[in-house]
Order: sequence, then C-alpha cells, then structure tokens
Amino acid sequence: MSRAELSAAGLYHRLMVYTLFFILLLPLLGTLLYSLSTDWSATILPSGMTFKWYVELWGDPRFLAAFGHSLLICVGALLLSAVLILPLLFVVHYHFPRLDGLMNILILLPFAVPPVVSSVGLLQLYSSGPLAMTGTPWILIGCYFTVALPFMYRAITNNLQAINLPDLMDAAHMLGASTWKAAFLVVLPNLRKGLMVSLFLSFSFLFGEFVFANLLVGTRYETLQVYLNNMRNSSGHFTSALVISYFLFVLILTWAANHLNKDKS
Amino acid sequence: MSFLAIQGLHKSFGSTQIFSDINCEIAQGEFVTLLGPSGCGKSTLLRCIAGLTPVNSGQILLDGEDLVPVAPQKRGIGMVFQSYALFPNMTVQQNVAFGLRMQKVAAEESRQRVKEVLALVELNEFAERYPQQLSGGQCQRVALARSLVTRPRLLLLDEPLSALDARIRKHLREQIRQIQQELGLTTIFVTHDQEEALVLSDRIFLMNAGQIVQSGDAETLYTAPVDAFAAGFIGNYNLLDAEAASRLLGRPIGSRIAIRPEAIAFAELGGIEAHIRSHSLLGNVIRYRVEARGVELLVDVLNRSAADLHTKGQRIGLNIEANAICEVA
Repeated sequence: MSRAELSAAGLYHRLMVYTLFFILLLPLLGTLLYSLSTDWSATILPSGMTFKWYVELWGDPRFLAAFGHSLLICVGALLLSAVLILPLLFVVHYHFPRLDGLMNILILLPFAVPPVVSSVGLLQLYSSGPLAMTGTPWILIGCYFTVALPFMYRAITNNLQAINLPDLMDAAHMLGASTWKAAFLVVLPNLRKGLMVSLFLSFSFLFGEFVFANLLVGTRYETLQVYLNNMRNSSGHFTSALVISYFLFVLILTWAANHLNKDKS
Repeated sequence: MSFLAIQGLHKSFGSTQIFSDINCEIAQGEFVTLLGPSGCGKSTLLRCIAGLTPVNSGQILLDGEDLVPVAPQKRGIGMVFQSYALFPNMTVQQNVAFGLRMQKVAAEESRQRVKEVLALVELNEFAERYPQQLSGGQCQRVALARSLVTRPRLLLLDEPLSALDARIRKHLREQIRQIQQELGLTTIFVTHDQEEALVLSDRIFLMNAGQIVQSGDAETLYTAPVDAFAAGFIGNYNLLDAEAASRLLGRPIGSRIAIRPEAIAFAELGGIEAHIRSHSLLGNVIRYRVEARGVELLVDVLNRSAADLHTKGQRIGLNIEANAICEVA
C-alpha cells in the first residue's frame, strides 16, 4: 500500500473512532452542561453557569445516605461472592474438574430469569417465614451475589485455565507447602487479575442496578438508583448533577482499577 | 544395601491397572532412567515415588524408611516437571527460595543458598526476572535450581527436556548429568526418548504396559535386548521371525532374532546376496533398505564419502557379524 493510501485509510479509521466517541459522549456532555447551568429552557445556550446543583446534591443527607447504602450493599455482595467463589473455583478445578460443565450451566441461571420475574419470586419467598428479609439490605446483598456470580466465575475460570493449576500445586507440594499454603501463596496471587477485573466490572454493574433494588427494598433502604427515581419530579438540573456525580465516581473507580491492575513487568 | 527400594508396588485407577508388582533397587548416587512409550506407567510410577499419586499397595523404601504413608511435603524429594511449573507471580529468586521459605530457613542463609544454586545452573544474572521473561531452557534450569536448593535426598525429573528444542535439549541434558555427578545426587529421570536415556543413565529401566521389561546399563540394553519390545524400542533393530531368519542365514533358527542395522556390513565379494531398495541420508550415517533372500533389512553405513554411495538396484554382498545376532523371545 502506498503512503497516500495508508494515510487515507488511517484518516478513515480515525474518523470512525472519533465519530463513535462523539456519539457516545454527546448525551453525557449535554447532561454535564445541564447540571452546570442555572436555567436552560427557552434559550439555545444556558442563561448562566453555576455549581449550586452539586452543592445542593452533596449537601442533601438523603443523597449521602443513599450513596452509602449503595456502596455498602455492593461491597457486601462482592465480598460475599469473593469469599464464596474463590474456594469454590479452586475446589472445582483442582479436585472435581468434571463439575466445571455443571457450574457453567448453573451460573447462567441468573441471566435466564428476567429480574422482574425473579424479584417477584424472591418477594414471595422472603416476605414471611424464618427468612423474612424483604425490605432489608440483606436480601439485596444475597440477590446481587447471584447477579455477580456469572461475571466472577467466568473471569476467574479463564484466569485459572491460563495457569497450569495441577502442576503448580504439585510443585508447591514437592517444595514442602501444604495445600492451604500453596493456594494462598501460589494460586491466589495468580488470580489477582481475573478477580480484580470481575470485581470492578460487577461493582459498576451493581452500583447502577435499579429493578431489584426498587422491587425488593424500595424506599425502606434507599439506594442511589432508587433515590434518583424518587427525585425524578425535582429539578432536572439536580438529577443531572446526580447522574454526572454517579458517572464520575464509576469512571474514577474503573481508572483506578486499571491502574492498579497493570502488570509489574 | 540399596538406597531406594521399591517392592511389590501396585497402582490402578478404578478398574484400569497402571502397573502391578513393580520391584526395583537403586543405589545411592545412581542416575536411573525410566524409559518407555507414553502410557506405559513410567510417569505414574514417578508420581507415586514423589507421593503426588497414592499407591494401592507395596512399599517404597528410601534409606530404609517406608515412604508410602509419608506426605509428599515430608519425603525430602525434589521434582522437576515437563511444564516447568514455575510460579508466575514470583521472580526467579523467589521461585528458588520458595522451598527454603517453607522450611523456615533464615533469610541470610536462604539468600546464600539461592545464590549458590543459581550459580550452579548459570542463572545468577536472571535472579530478578519473572518466569515469563525467560526462555524455555532458562525456565527449566530455574525449576532444576528450585528443586536442588532444598538438598533433596532424591531428585525426580519428569520428562524435563520434552518441551525444549533439540539444541537446548542436548545442552541441558549434559548440564543435568554434570550437576548430578557433582552433587552425587540419586536421580530418577523419566523419558520416552531412547537417545536421552542411553546418553544420561547409569542404568535404564525399560518399561512397557506397566511392567519393567528390562533393566541394565546402556550397553546391555542396546546390545542385548531381552524381547521383541525391547529390540523394537531401542535402536532400529531388524526383527525377523524364525522362518525369515532361517532363510536369510541359511541355517535353521529356532526363535525370533534381532540384528542391529550397523552390525551388517557390505562386502564386495561373497556374503549373502542382496540388492539395494532405497537409501536415506541421516547425516553421519546412511541408512540403506536392502533385500536379501526375500527378507527386507535396514543397514546403517558410516557416511565416509559421496563416492561410496550405493545406488538403487545395485547388487551387493552382506556380512552379518555372528555375535550381533540376538535371539529374542
């Protein structure tokens, strides 16, 4: 290919990428601008710029509580899944490799049932009896655990298949390590990448979850998305500020995750 | 008394018997090779000695102590794997120090010993690298260093050279042999490569279908195979049944025989009449396919000069050394 053709192709590729970026960013830019304007209804450009919506939002105790609730529930659900899934995966892959096929079917179940349907089922199950926890954050932690399970399981399984688990365990055993020590010192550090990726992916996903949160708990333990829904009748500038704050938070988190996850070598 | 003695060892997975009634003795400082085709049970036998695979019955006596009830961590055995099995999250230095860390050896002593053993495998300048930054040969040397640093009583090598390319393989096998002799370390080496086995070993155990078919030094195994399998697996023996052998040699022969291809010489005059069917150049050796009295034979001749090359269809006489004719069961 000649230089001219090459640069023409390059130009085309760049154009496509920038256009895509622009299309994706446009609504965010609009929201950002709206959240920063005093009033923007009958004019082409906003009539003035202000931070007052952000000040109002971050001064609202109800918002801060909702933010804290969301954080707590997500972190709780992800802690639970990490604590349960890591040993489960280790056992499946080290002792019962044949169970992997069964697990692959099981972890797809949360996807197979639409959230609206499963939340009705969960409401019936957990509204009464010994496990009455509808309306408490506990049911959301449990429910989010099942939602996060497929992400976590797949990412960590891929990671496990990339290392030669049986040989690494054998080598560690021959060098005097117990199975526990081998799992902690040899296997776990090599799963860091898959674990981090799946944790942050699940976190961003769960942090924005609305259907389960609204149906199972609602205003009794308001999460961020439920709060946003309840605020829909207040000023649009205010909710825009909320959306942008939420977006920035997830953005910073994702960036931090990527940064932390860089290879040492 | 032997250093390692295996007595009546039996192993099966479910209803599949891997090997039964394995008996062998290995002296201290000996380099022994388990040689055999894949699936003959040699790797499983090695893993049983290591303790990574439990045995069904029998005894493994190391220095008089039965290892069967002992956990692999406590056997004092070092092992090197075909896949290297280096820990990807650790540097070369940390990999090698892992065994000492498990033994809670003091930091200063550990550093010293890691340094010594890395010098032994000539990898000192790579101490801070990660395994993924090393070549296959270097990885396997790290694995070797890692298993030597704990000063094991017995070193097990499970096809350590199989994943490497030919040139590195030759170099590394010499290095392994040299280190083994320097340390006087009792070593069991598993391979399916007869050349590796012949070059390295003090003694070879040839295995087939869960049995030790023959054991002996390289010389014995090569020149006196006990049966058709041994003759077929080592070297490129011509295997003839009794009828063909009688026809070829012109006298009645009662059993199957094996003749090494380099034990047959071409003669200008006399000998057994034959003609050349084809030839292939193996480098320093030319391998002819010849037919004599209706029997097809392989003949290896040293490749001295291009002028000596016999062409297809050429008539030739064959001299077969009488003591190279080996009767096999």
